[in-house]
Parts: sequence; C-alpha cells; structure tokens
Amino acid sequence: MTDATTGTDTVTQTITDFIRQRCLDGDPKGELKPDTPLLAWGVLNSLNTVLLLNHIHDELGVTVPPSRINARDLKNVRAIASAVRAVAAETGS
Amino acid sequence: MTLHRIVRDAAKTHGDRLAVAADDGTLTYRELDARADAVARSLRALGVSRGDRVVLWADKSAAMITAMQAVLRLGAAYVPADGSAPEHRVAVLARDCAAKAVLTTRDRTGPLRASLGTGVSVAELATSPDGAQEAADARIDEPAAPDDLAYILYTSGSTGAPKGVCISHRNALAFVGWAVDELAAGPDDRFSNHAPLNFDLSVLDLYGAFAVGASVHLVAAELAYAPAQLAEFLHSEQITIWYSVPSALTLMIREGGLLDRPAPRRLRAVLFAGEPFPVTHVRALAGWTRARLLNLYGPTETNVCTFHEVRPTDLERDRPVPIGVACSGDQVWARRADGGVCGPGEEGELVADGPTVMRGYWGREPQRGPYPTGDVVRVLDDGRFDYVGRRDHMVKVRGHRVELGDVEAALLAHPAVTEAVVVVVGSGIEARLVAVVVPAHGHDLGPLELRRHCAARLPRYLVADEFRTRSHLPRTRNGKADRAALAGDLAVTPAP
Repeated sequence: MTDATTGTDTVTQTITDFIRQRCLDGDPKGELKPDTPLLAWGVLNSLNTVLLLNHIHDELGVTVPPSRINARDLKNVRAIASAVRAVAAETGS
Repeated sequence: MTLHRIVRDAAKTHGDRLAVAADDGTLTYRELDARADAVARSLRALGVSRGDRVVLWADKSAAMITAMQAVLRLGAAYVPADGSAPEHRVAVLARDCAAKAVLTTRDRTGPLRASLGTGVSVAELATSPDGAQEAADARIDEPAAPDDLAYILYTSGSTGAPKGVCISHRNALAFVGWAVDELAAGPDDRFSNHAPLNFDLSVLDLYGAFAVGASVHLVAAELAYAPAQLAEFLHSEQITIWYSVPSALTLMIREGGLLDRPAPRRLRAVLFAGEPFPVTHVRALAGWTRARLLNLYGPTETNVCTFHEVRPTDLERDRPVPIGVACSGDQVWARRADGGVCGPGEEGELVADGPTVMRGYWGREPQRGPYPTGDVVRVLDDGRFDYVGRRDHMVKVRGHRVELGDVEAALLAHPAVTEAVVVVVGSGIEARLVAVVVPAHGHDLGPLELRRHCAARLPRYLVADEFRTRSHLPRTRNGKADRAALAGDLAVTPAP
C-alpha cells in the first residue's frame, strides 16, 4: 500500500484527502500534517468521524470496529492510518 | 431532602441492584455508595468542605458519577466540565467559581496545576479508590439545606465569559420528583444517558434512575453521534427510558437503521428536549414504537418547566409538537410586550416561576422572581404552548446553546484577526456553525490555525464547524456586519 514515488501510502493519502476536503475547506494553506491533533482541535467530531469511517470502508474496504472509535486511534492522521492498517491485517482484507 | 440522599437511600433498599453501567465498569448501589464515601474522604483531605465548589473535568464514566456524589456528600457543589473541554476553559471556570479543587485524569493534573497555581487543589479522578471497604464505618454525610448549591452548569455567555447557572438541591429535586412521577419510574427501569454531564438533560438520566433504584447506562462521548452504535445501544442495554436531543434520534432514524428493526420490547418512553424535533421523525417514531413520546422544554436556568406528551392529533400538524404545559411545580406564561399575559392565538416571551428556577448566575445578583426565558411561544387554544423562536443572538446547534458573541470573542482574541462573524447555516441536524474571519492586513490565516486557536479556548460545541476567511464582510445600511446576507451567501456557496 505504499506509493514509492511520493513516499505516501494509499491509506494515509485517502484519509488526508478526505479530511482536507470535508473538514478543512480543501485546506488552502496546506496546514494539515500527519500529527495535527484532530480530536483536540475539533477537526474530527462525532458527526464527521462517521463520514470518514464510511469513506474508509468505501475506498479501502476496511470496516473500523466500534472498539477502534476512541481518542487514541483517532488522534491524528498517523494514528488513524495505523489503526486502519491493523484492522486490515487482522481481517485479512 | 437533599440530592445526595438519593443514592444513600437507594443503597439501603437496592444495594445489589445495578446503578451505573459505563465503559469503565459497572457499579451496584452498594459499590457506588461506598466509593462515593471513599472519594469524599480524599476530597476532605484536600480541604473541601461544606459550601465549596469542586470542578470535575473528564469524559463521562462511572468514576465521574462517583465523584459527583462524593462532592455532594461534603455539602459542596460540583461543576462538571466535559472531557473535551480545553484546559484554558476549565481554568477559566475554576477561577470563576473560586473552586477549592479540580478532579481530572492523571495526564491532565500536571498542566492544570501549572496554569491554576496555588490555592486550587488539582487531584486525580480516582478510578478505583482505595479504602472503599472502610466506608461503612466512615460515612460522610454533611448536612445541606434545600437552598444550598448542588451543582453549577456553565453555559455559553454572549460576551465571551461563560455563565455559571447555580442549581440548588430544591431546584434539582423539584424536577427529578416530577419526572419520576410522570414516568412512573421503578427499579426495573433502565435509563439511557446520552447527554454530556455538563448538560442539564443528564440530570434526569442520573437522578431519575437513582431516585427509584433503577440503572443508568452511559453512552460514551465518542459514540454520542455514531448512528448505528446508538441504535444498537438501545437494544443491547435494554433501555426502557431514552432521553436525548432530537439530533441524536434523527441520526439514529436516518443513518442508524433504527426503524429497520422492531422497537425494543421494553422501551416504554422516549423523551427529547433541547431543540425542535421535525414532526416527520416524530411520526416515524410513533409508527415504530408504542412507547410514550414526550417533548420536554426548559433552559438550563429553569431545567424542564414545560412538557408535552405526543398525541395522535399532534402528528397531523405540519410543525413540531407543542412544548406543552407547565410541570415540575412551576408556573409558566407567555408575556406580551406590554407585560400582560398572552391569551390563545397570541405570541409572547415564555416566563417561568417556581421551584426549578435557578438561584442565579455564579458571581452575579441572585435571581429574584420569574425567569424570562428569551424564547418566544404561541398560546394554543387549549392553553398549551408552541415554540416559535429566540429573541436574541442565541442559537441552538445540535441541542447546545450557542451565544454567537461567545464564539466571536474567542476569534477576535487571535492577534491576526480584525473582524469575525459567526453564523448558523442550515437547520436541524444540518445546522453548522460557520465562522467568517477578516485577517489583519498582511496576515495569512488558514482554517486550521483558526480552529487550533478556538479549540484551545472554547468547549468543543462552541468551536465552529467551518472557518472561512474574507477580505471584507457584507454590511447593513447602518454599518453592522450583515449576518443575514452572510448566512444566505454561505448557504448557497459550497466550501471552496
């Protein structure tokens, strides 16, 4: 799942793109970073988290279980990507 | 009778029954009683005594509920702050109410201690206090008078300073007593708790359950708007009495498949409050369950002062169901502009008087006499009230009270912001808080920087959903920012 040319993997890119478009008005100043605190700053809330998880399901075929919907796994883009990869590995998808 | 006796009494008659079910564990009444005494002892060791305030800052949990009871047992008042609230806001609350102590999670004690300095004790919210077993011979039961303060709920204030609504034991018990009677609640009931603990809806869930030895089941903060999980929660926890803002029910219906399964057999009452509930969804619920459907109304300052049980005729109307008639021992009326009392067909400001009306805002003059709610209502032919709207700049987003001035004041505190206007775009579940900001000359501001700035100062529900920057704002003829034009413009312009 790694794009060797950019060094960015598909999972991270899918999550980043979604958050930029849906939560940050397209992120015109390119402010979103892998460690931007998404929950602490309210970028993700309980409403758009559901949309993000649906998007991950549709685009990556990974269903994130409720046990992963927590402050640690949703902390920033890096944490979400690693949770998605862990779920994918567990379920073999 | 005072609020803390409720759990004490339930522990005597219903000791082995389930009191609280949460992510961090379950508590029987006996356990809750013993742990509350243990936490009260540690609070007393910190110097907390009768008449003090204690801020409780964490996500909702069995430990939080225990701490609330512990504070009351000392004759003190608790001040709940949501786990998602930023440290800056919590420090503002703690200073505003001159708190004796703050209890929070371990990771937050250090930073908060640093920002509050000496004079306020900051301690860890114990998850399993030591010495709970000694509780039986070390009861803590400070006397409290009915008019003593039981808790303070902070709400959004128009000038940027949060307002602390002071609720006495008498205030709270008047509402709880009414609710228990109206619902004919009993020990077999299972109450949901959807609202955060700093939101007055939670008072019914907790104390309604405790008053009759029933259980309360906490919905974790992260799942509060997760549609499928909420619908599943209703089934898996075998909830008998559900209470939430309409937004949560709308989501469960629209996106959680709530109506696709038969209604849980034991569900017997669905209560909603905090904002108008589109009647289409009320119709859908009425067709799905035989449970009673109740619309509750009241600002934090009065708790629930009117209610209405949905009748078949209400479903034939094309507007939200009425907010109904007075309850909780209160008197309510609609006041005309000339001060007179509105008759059928007339509109006026709803005024409430009676045992649930708050003592006042912390640090300000006590509330004397009837409380004007700021809400405009219409008197129906049968004397019931229909909700019409607000008189001022206060809006509701997902059931939360938002003073637009509060959000604007936070934005204007940013050094690179010269002008800021916050508007609500959309309605009901689609309502979004949109901040429009004019950056100072030569400054480049992105939405994430504005969001970071606000999130450090405001509780989560006051952080705008969207941030936009503009080089100038539309103006009305008298030079004020034209909010209506801005809202209309934003409603038709998609995000860039």
